[in-house]
Amino acid sequence: MTSLKRILKFAFQDIGRNFGLSFMTVLILILMVLSVNALWGVEAITKEAVATVKDQVNVSVYFSANANDDNVNELKKYVSSFPEVVNVDLLSADSVLDSFKQRHKLSKDILDALAELDTNPFGPTMIIKTKEPSDYQKIIQALNVPEYQTLIEAKSFDEHETALDKIQNITNNAEKMVAGLVLLFGCISFLIVFNTIRAAIHTQKVEIGIKRLVGASNWFIRGPYIVESLIFSVLSMAISIGIIYLALHFIDPYLSVIFSDGFSLTKYYNSHILYLFGSQFVCVLVLTVVSSILAMRRQLKV
Amino acid sequence: MIIVEGVTKVYSKNSVALRDISLHINAGEFVSIIGQSGSGKTTFTKLLIAEETPTKGKIKIGDWDITNIKTDEIPYLRRQIGMIFQDYKLLPQKTVYENVAFALEVAGEKSKRIAQIVPQLLEIVGLSDRHNRYPQQLSGGEQQRVAIARSLAHRPKIIVADEPTGNLDTINAEEIIQILKKINEFGTTVLLLTHNREVVNALHRRVITLHGGNIVLDQEAGKYIL
Repeated sequence: MTSLKRILKFAFQDIGRNFGLSFMTVLILILMVLSVNALWGVEAITKEAVATVKDQVNVSVYFSANANDDNVNELKKYVSSFPEVVNVDLLSADSVLDSFKQRHKLSKDILDALAELDTNPFGPTMIIKTKEPSDYQKIIQALNVPEYQTLIEAKSFDEHETALDKIQNITNNAEKMVAGLVLLFGCISFLIVFNTIRAAIHTQKVEIGIKRLVGASNWFIRGPYIVESLIFSVLSMAISIGIIYLALHFIDPYLSVIFSDGFSLTKYYNSHILYLFGSQFVCVLVLTVVSSILAMRRQLKV
Repeated sequence: MIIVEGVTKVYSKNSVALRDISLHINAGEFVSIIGQSGSGKTTFTKLLIAEETPTKGKIKIGDWDITNIKTDEIPYLRRQIGMIFQDYKLLPQKTVYENVAFALEVAGEKSKRIAQIVPQLLEIVGLSDRHNRYPQQLSGGEQQRVAIARSLAHRPKIIVADEPTGNLDTINAEEIIQILKKINEFGTTVLLLTHNREVVNALHRRVITLHGGNIVLDQEAGKYIL
């Protein structure tokens, strides 16, 4: 217990005496954590954006005006039987007409032309949602059978296909880039932190030598540096978390404009708080402790 | 008792520090070890505190064979051997009191006991009134006395003083030797490694002369002959 207290005392003394180096070490760790979080934030936003776009994509099947309720219900039943389909909505011919009128309420010419017609020119519309955008192709093919050709006037999916492919492509590349950047930042940070801690320990070479001469055990010499690593890790994570939440406070209002479903990075961080900060803390701790042990190895040679 | 039997230390083919040396130093002796630079004095000290291991031969301190000492036993050995150096090796950011207490702290001694021991040690070296000073606020002689107090912290059976008067004027050097003699009178074995002819001649104690890694002379109540 006495030794533990002294190890803590020496650790705080070292931090105080080498304030400049301690400050630099914490600063570099903070920059590393912030960089990694910036990349994670970008990834979260990208994923959310893709999910939003995916959610907005669907296949609209426009029935011809002569399609009756039995035809429509049969087709709905047929489409719903596919395991890839998560939802099928039906809009009646009247509601399609109402919706059309609503959309063009300011276009007098269009409304006049519509009034000239005796009957509703629109048929019902079926809106199909699938689990994945890639599933739409299968549904489209399933509808391309001769018996339904006369019932279906148009299908709207083709317009989104290219856009979805592009988004998917961008997402995949973005994920690879983020992973690469995290790895690169990790390597750079390791080298910087390792050298900073090594420099801090080198400045105390004389003190370590004296500790050895007066009979300090290796663990007693090593202890304060391990404790320092722990303090650096806790301090850098605490400050980083503060900065991250402060930054989110300013970023979230902009995100709320883009994402109408209420997505915010603060919510994302709150829901993943243990994973995000826990894993980062463990990484920072391992980084600082390993750096300390490697840097001390030479000084502790008997 | 220190027993050295046929010890050889080879650093490289062209660097042989000690050549088959054997000697016995009895408990409570005051021994001066003299020799020119490169004669093997420092290597001998390093072997005693297990900073180096002999290439050949055996070293025993009391009943403890330290020739192939385990790494985790080395701190315990060093607590039994007080070391004093020419450059004092004090921590500049610690006070006199803290420098002495430091040796006890690293050994896990209780704070209460440290508070009892340190003033006694400072009393022995005559620095009770300087306990709050920092090393840079002391003279060379005073700094060396702090180093002596620190070396006594673990009540060692052996004190190894490596050129303790090397940086001191005659008066301060004499004071340091008097303190070492006083420590020796309490029963502690003192090994004095020195170049100082006057000091060795004035002591009239055992003198071991090293030359080229060999013991060339071992005199009871000897003189500085080189």
